[in-house]
Amino acid sequence: MQGQITGHKRKKKQPAISCYYKMATRVVRSGVRQVKPLLSVDSGEARQRVLNLYKAWYRQLPYIVMDYDLPKSKEDCRVKLREEFMKHRHVQDIRVIDMLVIKGQMELKETVEVWKQKHGIMSYWRDTVEPKPKGFLNKFLDGHE
Amino acid sequence: MLRVGVSRLLQQGAPKGRAALGTGATRAQSSAPEKIEVFIDDQPVMVAPGTTVLQAAAQAGVEIPRFCYHERLSVAGNCRMCLVEVEKSVKPVAACAMPVMKGWRVKTDSDMTRKAREGVMEFLLINHPLDCPICDQGGECDLQDQSMSFGSDRSRFLDNKRAVEDKNIGPLVKTIMTRCIHCTRCVRFASEVAGVEDLGTTGRGTDMQIGTYVEKMLMSELSGNVIDLCPVGALTSKPYAFTARPWEVRRTDSVDVMDAVGSNIVVNHRTGEVLRILPKTHEASDINEEWLSDKSRFACDGLKRQRLVYPMVKDSSGELRACEWEDALLVAARALTGAQGSVAAVVGGLVDAEALVALKDLVNKLGGEATCTEEIFPEDGSGTDFRSSYLLNTTIAGVEEADLVLLVGTNPRFEAPLFNARLRKAWVHNELDVAIVGPNVDLTYDTEHLGEDPAIIEQLLAGTHPFSQRLKAAKRPMVVVGSALLARPDGGLLNARLQQLAHQLRAGCEGGGAWRVLNVLHRVASQVAALDLGYAPGVSKVRNAPPKVLYLLGSDEGAITREDLPADCLVIYQGHHGDRGAEIADVVLPGAAYTEKTATYVNTEGRAQQTQAALVPPGMAREDWKIIRALSEIVGVKLPYDNLAEVRDRLAELSPNLTRYGDVEEANYFAQASALAQKAFF
Repeated sequence: MQGQITGHKRKKKQPAISCYYKMATRVVRSGVRQVKPLLSVDSGEARQRVLNLYKAWYRQLPYIVMDYDLPKSKEDCRVKLREEFMKHRHVQDIRVIDMLVIKGQMELKETVEVWKQKHGIMSYWRDTVEPKPKGFLNKFLDGHE
Repeated sequence: MLRVGVSRLLQQGAPKGRAALGTGATRAQSSAPEKIEVFIDDQPVMVAPGTTVLQAAAQAGVEIPRFCYHERLSVAGNCRMCLVEVEKSVKPVAACAMPVMKGWRVKTDSDMTRKAREGVMEFLLINHPLDCPICDQGGECDLQDQSMSFGSDRSRFLDNKRAVEDKNIGPLVKTIMTRCIHCTRCVRFASEVAGVEDLGTTGRGTDMQIGTYVEKMLMSELSGNVIDLCPVGALTSKPYAFTARPWEVRRTDSVDVMDAVGSNIVVNHRTGEVLRILPKTHEASDINEEWLSDKSRFACDGLKRQRLVYPMVKDSSGELRACEWEDALLVAARALTGAQGSVAAVVGGLVDAEALVALKDLVNKLGGEATCTEEIFPEDGSGTDFRSSYLLNTTIAGVEEADLVLLVGTNPRFEAPLFNARLRKAWVHNELDVAIVGPNVDLTYDTEHLGEDPAIIEQLLAGTHPFSQRLKAAKRPMVVVGSALLARPDGGLLNARLQQLAHQLRAGCEGGGAWRVLNVLHRVASQVAALDLGYAPGVSKVRNAPPKVLYLLGSDEGAITREDLPADCLVIYQGHHGDRGAEIADVVLPGAAYTEKTATYVNTEGRAQQTQAALVPPGMAREDWKIIRALSEIVGVKLPYDNLAEVRDRLAELSPNLTRYGDVEEANYFAQASALAQKAFF
């Protein structure tokens, strides 16, 4: 705010044409706003980070199954891993991708260091969550209709 | 009893719209006189001559404070709160009683006006107790509100305050007479609208008291309205005492189902229970104006008692045991499937149109034909084929245009108190004459009792009865037939005669084809919708061919008992209260009461209206049409609607008037009905 005010004052003393020119550039700049990147500067880099994270997880899966004594096989875990990544396949924004990668890394760290507990890992499979009833009769019997 | 004449009414100025008097025959002659111009706060307004200052101000959008003035009551002019300054007048004038003169300049916000109001308020507050914190009117009190604008912040009164003994006027209205400001609204209501001359004033000046003089109950079916009318907390509701403050309650507009009038109500509820029910003014004031009968107002405590809250199935020892929905529906479905089409339904008086259509569809899909209502209506002649045969065709507001009413076998004072209030209103203002065939009942106004013999109807039809001349001479006669009369064994014949009589009278009517003579006054809220949907009135069909499975939908009048049914007949009862119907049932399905569902009801005029769900049904109870819909799916004849909009589409498919909310759907087949009646009996 402070800068704007001083700028305005300075502008007054300048010739009219350059004033318009400056305003015009300001308008253009605000059109394609540059944002501060989180990690990656382009989508290629972001993609690479995602792949790296995926690989890191993939390699750790056998150890995770062993450490936590999960009642799941390696293959089950790979399917789940892929599922978790595919959940976000529609994300285009580089910053969002980066943030997801950061979170995924945190998750991986917590898992590998056994800061989590078994049920924390098992909750990926949502075994205990009952699906919402569908159809009139099921809703009625469930008390939703 | 002083009957207010037309001249006096004109002098007071007719309140706006049809609400006042409609276009009575007596009014037609006085053609609209020229309007005069007056100025309210320098704002010019054109008003009819005879308009009071207060009404003129209302037209200009200025509300003048008042206590004693009420639109639907006579003008008393005794509270003096409505004093306003009129230019070139030495003293302020009482706006509610003073008719405006041409060119008057009224100042509703001048120093003089304000001083007058402050003076009045100071005198009122001298004797008014400062008990607002424990007063039930707190928050909806006119005195409280107006003292915020015109009250002084300190008292100059050093003597002892007046105290008045409380009166006991019955179990509904609580009196704290010290709070009374002597506006006499209750006195005027009792004598003008309710027609019980029990309330009055005794004493003068500071000793003036409102009361019944000797301890006496306010014996009126409209007594609860004095609670709404009282501008202070002198008359409050006894059942509602100390229950809630007006700003805590949630309000839901709805429709009453205690009688067939379909009064508009506001359900006041909080924390899942109905606290009180207040009347809501119908937009065109065609139904209940702003009154409500005591039954409708005070019956809400029953919504918490004796409710069916879980499904029940009879066990091997013959006792009803609570169970899950699934179990109850399965037992019911097994029986319905096993019945192989031998299914019948009987519906009671409080059932909504959605549940009615769902049940009828279910029974018909299963192959059953007998869908009946508990309330009886003759099926001879055209029966219920023409809507005009079973509606209150003149409409409730239409009573104000009638000049002669013949009540046959009905006591509207208890069957439809607000219809009776209309009759009384027309009797007071329009010189309406009322004659009764049937028990000689006190309807709070003068009536001519023709006798109890059904032969009188025959004589009236033949024109040999002394009253026939009066009937023939009437310009706009009404014949109001009670549904109790039609339930008699000879109801069919009486109905046929009355149809013919009404048709005969119609020929000589002033309004021509537009004026309807025949009116049926129903007693229960569901009947018109049921008949519109094709239910058969009366349970004779079920009695004659007892079904294997009987579905009772809220039928508690005991029209069908266990003795009428074979021993192996399974009875399913669906409803909201444990009563006679649930007693004989093998399976009980808990439904919703009228405050708990968004549903359609059609009143005796044929006006479809909808209730709004204020609460959720208690316990495991569900909305009625949903129960039937769920059951239909288990039985295997799935009904093709899953939500309210789809049910209403189905309603509209059967009878489009059922979803035209707020409108009276007219019917006009008197000639045909009369001809068919002729064929059937004569």
